[in-house]
Amino acid sequence: MTFLEYIRIAAQPLAEGLLITFQVSAVCLVIGLLIGFPAALVRVYGPKWLKWLVTGFIEVLRGTPVLVQLFLIYYGLPQFGITLSAFTSAYIALGMNSGAYQAEYIRGAIQAISSGQMMAARSIGMTRFQAIRHIIIPQAVRFAIPAWSNEAVAMVKITSIVYLIAVPEMLYVAKILLSKYYNPFQTYITVGVIYLAVIGVMTLLLNFVERKLAIPGFETSKRGA
Amino acid sequence: MFQELLILVPYILRGLEITLSVTGIALGIGLFFGLVMGILRVYGGRVVSRVVGIFVAAIRALPHILLLLIIYFLIARIISISAFWSATMALAIISSAYQAEIVRGAILCVSEGQMQAARSIGMTHLQAIWHVVIPQAFRHAIPPWSNEAAIVIKDSSLVYVLGVPEILRQAQYYSARTYKPFLAYLTVAAIYFLLTFATNRGLDALERRIRIPT
Amino acid sequence: MASGKNVIVKVEDLHKAYGSEEVLRGISMEVTEGEVVVLVGPSGTGKSTLLRCINQLTMPDAGRVWVNNVELTDPSTDIDKARQHIGMVFQSFNLFNHLNALDNVSLGLIHVLGMDKKTARDKALMELDRVGLKNKAENYPGQLSGGQKQRVAIARSLAMEPIVMLFDEPTSALDPELIGEVLVVMKDLAVEGMTMICVTHEIGFARDVSKRIVFMEHGDIIEEGTPAKMLTNPDLPRTKQFLGKISELH
Repeated sequence: MTFLEYIRIAAQPLAEGLLITFQVSAVCLVIGLLIGFPAALVRVYGPKWLKWLVTGFIEVLRGTPVLVQLFLIYYGLPQFGITLSAFTSAYIALGMNSGAYQAEYIRGAIQAISSGQMMAARSIGMTRFQAIRHIIIPQAVRFAIPAWSNEAVAMVKITSIVYLIAVPEMLYVAKILLSKYYNPFQTYITVGVIYLAVIGVMTLLLNFVERKLAIPGFETSKRGA
Repeated sequence: MFQELLILVPYILRGLEITLSVTGIALGIGLFFGLVMGILRVYGGRVVSRVVGIFVAAIRALPHILLLLIIYFLIARIISISAFWSATMALAIISSAYQAEIVRGAILCVSEGQMQAARSIGMTHLQAIWHVVIPQAFRHAIPPWSNEAAIVIKDSSLVYVLGVPEILRQAQYYSARTYKPFLAYLTVAAIYFLLTFATNRGLDALERRIRIPT
Repeated sequence: MASGKNVIVKVEDLHKAYGSEEVLRGISMEVTEGEVVVLVGPSGTGKSTLLRCINQLTMPDAGRVWVNNVELTDPSTDIDKARQHIGMVFQSFNLFNHLNALDNVSLGLIHVLGMDKKTARDKALMELDRVGLKNKAENYPGQLSGGQKQRVAIARSLAMEPIVMLFDEPTSALDPELIGEVLVVMKDLAVEGMTMICVTHEIGFARDVSKRIVFMEHGDIIEEGTPAKMLTNPDLPRTKQFLGKISELH
């Protein structure tokens, strides 16, 4: 069949798959933020033993492939009677993984601001907690935005692996179409182009948001992917 | 549990050799092409730089697993090579794009004044790049390269999808036979962790050894 | 200017613009052998650009440059070869950070002039000795003070045996107490007969060492003359105003 005919057939299922991709990405990003933010605070301001624990977790999550983490939860946990759905497993695995990376970005942002600002805040009588809440965090958030937008883009790419546990995101849909129409080349190129378009638009949007939210006069450098 | 581990070991060892080969070769080839592309990006002139830039940006914008699948099918159409080699080449191509950016970033870190000073004593452009820019860029490149090496180690788990019998697939065979998936995947995770840990520590040590005295 | 002496550097009608800003507006000048010329003027008026046009680190938009009767603006000229005989000292030193002082000085000797390692080392040590830094040969730029770094930079240029030395604000990035050690080296060079073109604010140096002071502003040469004339009785009021101001500071 011609490419155009194929597009007409594939468009809707792929679009549905793309929506799932966005859904999974968004949920995992939020979970990652909910895990990463407190983790970062602990790493900078927490008691020593807690720091150690959190650092250990982060190192393990960052030092092992996310695919293995996914399989551990989806295929491994049932061995102990904990059987989770594909979606839930994906949310947990990718969410925790993202949390580890986000913890590092946010920690970097906090530390970049911390000492001078903390001294200034304490010197006008603020408690440590007040300083963190009113001075450090608002600035850290702005500082972390470039790295965070990297993470958002990375997340959209990473969610593709969940097709392996039959989460019906875009690559899964593509594989089904493949098995129906025997056209790997067309299918993969189409999916590739869609990803390029999505990532491209995301990058532009996030750059725009970055510039809008940036503190005037401060230039932050993007971390390498 | 100990018994289970004992049965697991030969599976893992078989897969470990594959994992290490895939990773090592992909990193090596990726380094070569990454160097070439990175240097072209900085010194190649406007047209070349843009073309290479588009290639690098496209690779970096796509999910690695999708790229693996695309490249596998692209290569399989032209020549018939084993899954191992097409997977390794695919990882190499992906890594080369990221390494190109690392090389480019490292070169740009070296100030323009260094190039000017080198040219002002009569060095050619090439001599200046080789004797003055690259030795300094090299030091800037080690931390991000250490990161990239860890990423390739972890990405090698993706070649599971192409049926390459590396450690993740071995873990799957094992759990299919013994119904003990958790232990298998946990062990595999531990191995990956050891590999990335050792690599990072090793490169940290290298960085300290070649640090310029201040 | 003494007659019968060779013209080492000749610049004819140089033009350079950055965007809409014209930084050099038809500069012409000649520097003869052994002459020490000091370029002064407000920042951003093209003095550094002029210097960099002489060794073609910056390409002028129009105009011609000759060094030792070789036209550098001629596309067929081997620029790298020509640069071997032109020494340049930068405001930010630009020492090769990954090499110690000795290697900084000998790098050009080995890879550009093709000397063998031993001869290059010996010559490099000699040049470092000449600027008073023989004992710092094994030190890296990160371990040297600003004044020491600049002296190594001068040694690096001298090792190539240049026929002219270009100094681009060599002391502007130095702490006040380190300026002296660099100026001493520069004075010695002048006494030994080196042809020098210096962009600097050090009026003392200009007064004591230079044969000619050139005042530039907005890309033009406003006035030039001997130090005696320029510093005490220049023709134009603007010259008097500018030189008077920086004499106060230095």
